[in-house]
Amino acid sequence: MNFAKGTPRATRLPSLARVGLLVLLGAALVSALAPAFADGAAQAGSSTNVTLTVYSGQHESLGEALAAAFEAETGIKVAVRSGKDANLANQLLEEGARSQADVFITEEPGQLAALDEKGLLAPVDPATLAQVDQRLNPDSGDWVAYAARSRVIFYNPSLISEDELPRSILDLTDPAWKGKFAYAPSGAFVSTVTYLITSIGKERTRAWLEGIKANGVNLQKNGAVRDAVEAGQIAFGLSNHYYWYLLAEKQGGPDKLASKVHFMDNGDAGALLLSSGAAVLKTSTHQAEAQRFLAWLTDPQGGQRIIATTTPQYPLAPGVESTMGLKPLSELSPPDVDQGSLGGVDEARDLIIATGII
Amino acid sequence: MTPEPEARAGQHRRPRSAKPPLALVVPAVLVALLALTPVGYLFFRGGMSLPRLLHELSSPTTGTLIRHTLLLAVGVTLASIVLGVSLAVLVVRTDLPAKRFWTVLFALPLGIPAFVTSYTWVAAGYEFAPRSTFIYGLRGAIIVLSLALYPYVYLPVMAALRGLDPAQEEAARSLGARPFLAFFRVTLSQLRTAIAGGSLIIALHMLAEFGALELLRYQTLTTAIVQRVTVLSAPEAARALSVVLAVGSLLFLAADAFLRGRSTPTRMGGGVARSAVPWRLGRTKAVWLGACVLLTIFALGVPLYSMVTGLARLVLAGGAGFDWARLGSAALDTAQYAVATALVASVVAIPVSLLAVRYPGWLATLTERSTWIAHSLPGVVVSLALVYLSVRWLTPFYQTSALLVAGYIILFLPIAVGAQQVGIAHASPQFDKVSRSLGIGGLATFFRVTLPLALPGIAAGAVLVLLNVGKELTMTLLLHPTGTRTLATALWATTDGEVLDFSAAAPYAVALVVITAIPAFLLIRQTLQPSRGGGSRR
Repeated sequence: MNFAKGTPRATRLPSLARVGLLVLLGAALVSALAPAFADGAAQAGSSTNVTLTVYSGQHESLGEALAAAFEAETGIKVAVRSGKDANLANQLLEEGARSQADVFITEEPGQLAALDEKGLLAPVDPATLAQVDQRLNPDSGDWVAYAARSRVIFYNPSLISEDELPRSILDLTDPAWKGKFAYAPSGAFVSTVTYLITSIGKERTRAWLEGIKANGVNLQKNGAVRDAVEAGQIAFGLSNHYYWYLLAEKQGGPDKLASKVHFMDNGDAGALLLSSGAAVLKTSTHQAEAQRFLAWLTDPQGGQRIIATTTPQYPLAPGVESTMGLKPLSELSPPDVDQGSLGGVDEARDLIIATGII
Repeated sequence: MTPEPEARAGQHRRPRSAKPPLALVVPAVLVALLALTPVGYLFFRGGMSLPRLLHELSSPTTGTLIRHTLLLAVGVTLASIVLGVSLAVLVVRTDLPAKRFWTVLFALPLGIPAFVTSYTWVAAGYEFAPRSTFIYGLRGAIIVLSLALYPYVYLPVMAALRGLDPAQEEAARSLGARPFLAFFRVTLSQLRTAIAGGSLIIALHMLAEFGALELLRYQTLTTAIVQRVTVLSAPEAARALSVVLAVGSLLFLAADAFLRGRSTPTRMGGGVARSAVPWRLGRTKAVWLGACVLLTIFALGVPLYSMVTGLARLVLAGGAGFDWARLGSAALDTAQYAVATALVASVVAIPVSLLAVRYPGWLATLTERSTWIAHSLPGVVVSLALVYLSVRWLTPFYQTSALLVAGYIILFLPIAVGAQQVGIAHASPQFDKVSRSLGIGGLATFFRVTLPLALPGIAAGAVLVLLNVGKELTMTLLLHPTGTRTLATALWATTDGEVLDFSAAAPYAVALVVITAIPAFLLIRQTLQPSRGGGSRR
């Protein structure tokens, strides 16, 4: 029996071998990683071989498609850091003057407008601003709109007909709508709240949020709102047109879907048109290249072409039409608003937290 | 995993401890302080004062979020205990057919990250019962997550059960207790430490889980924290909720200590324990087999089905639009981060483990427990802390692999420490004494005697860390070097507006599971090795 105490040594050998292997592997990897560890320091200095750092709140695939096309056409390298608008904006504030970011592109106007108010953005070249639909640019001229998305209602005709839908999203506080609709507290939802605060005031917006919280179902993500309506789990949902057309594209056309998209036609907050914006950071050490990126992004032959063909967002250069079968931009009736006035993200944030939506 | 039981056993072998040498205390305390930096950030970041904290917490949401989080953590932990213990008993103590096969099969969900399991359930839900909302909310989250996490209870309990001497239970039966009662009263109480160890990991995991819960439409403190950072740009409000989480984790750690109790399984006399006489399932055998099949379908079948059909759809479509090179680079990055973290974390965890096992006392307990707190914070908060610190004082490291690895180490250090304690408990201090008496110095003794004996436990810790880094999502999203991605973040990107038919996600999910399955398999094999499982071994 004493023998048993000796045997572990024998059975331990295989695991020792494993550990040895692990150490060897690790040593190999550490040497492989060493250059990566220094990657932060390596970039500074050399101006001939510029790499633009773009912080992108866009869906990762679009951010990277834009970067790749720009790189191919101009030879200027682009490193994309994908995230969410709010998170990247917060990161830019933390980084301050030490930021490596040259360009910030967003999904929503809110965070850009807020950074603009804090004075972080360099003025955009007027020629670039002139390339796109002026309604979507901020009055300040410190960032440029390169795409847009419309707030819409997705609905499932087997559960509700189009003429039964609310005439205004403000009506949704009525208990009659309880349990009938879904929403997601996304960036565009925050933008809607910001817009409501500027248009109907803080207290009425608070009451609206309380009604939404009481009557609606919070599905966390816009994609979930779309999928739940499409599957018939719920009658309708507040979202962005983008998600519905994305699914339609994937399924082979709008007629392949059970759900429908409803654009409000009366300038209601539920038809808000929101800019996706781009800006050059004041702290960027590559101002010329960064401005060139913005000029390319808004160029009908450049970024606008990519947006028109790879994502169901609205391109904004006159003459460029999306290939995704979107309802034409000219036929929408959004409320009239300066996109640059939607920077009140702090007030929107406080209300969203206070009413318990996030 | 298997760590805790024996770590305690080790402590009990040395009731009275000597004063720890300074050469051990200093590095151990330094490591603990490093692990506490995110907590320090929570409390001391400029602008956070007590009135501010109370103001942030006074929102009516806070109470709801706390209730949701507790319900989820308790629900998933209890369900995992029931599942894990039942399955362990089934494969160790009964005459279930093909036991060896089931033993391994039941452990396999360990290799599938919880958010991947949830993603596949959501995809399968839309495919088979599109109108049903059964899998969402608290009920759905408890079901899906306990199916993903029960192996954390199953493995240590199974290992402990195999190591237990049935003599006490037999004694109880000879005194007239019915078999089930004897098992319940005698054996189950001896499994307490094994159950507590696994439960703690699950409960703390539930405090910090994000991806799975967003998919399953259930709001907790952590999903709110992440949304406050990523949607609202409200880091102060996120930090306030994180303070609640940190306090919650302290409560769980205390509950864990309480549940373990002070008793550890003991066995008098020498020799080797016999294995218990298996219970006959008799006529219920078919029912139990059916239950095993059903569980396998739920825990493994659903994820595999979604992955395989998703992959098949993609391949049938000629892989249209899928970037395979991107998959390759993500896999490589994931592997590099995981290995680098596993190595460094193993090294820095050693002083903490050594202190905890060899010199038990308040200092050791405090050091070891402080490594756990950051583990229960969402990765996004630990990331914010590191962004804050590195932007100001460690600028060259900001957004580099080094900082990301440091973050991983902070998150997963306690997992390495837990496993190492088992190994170090095996390296009895008696051997050290012999070595020292032969005139070999302290450091040399450590490298020539203690370390080799403790290696299996240290390797198990490294492997567990490897597994966890592979699955990590929320920290990677914030700290990764610009232009790189891991399998988990690339997979997550496909949930952002994409269509839930799982085609775009499948290759990443498969690659992630393949990578995490390797360490999971090593762990399962190690647990199954009779010479070293968990449980009591004399």
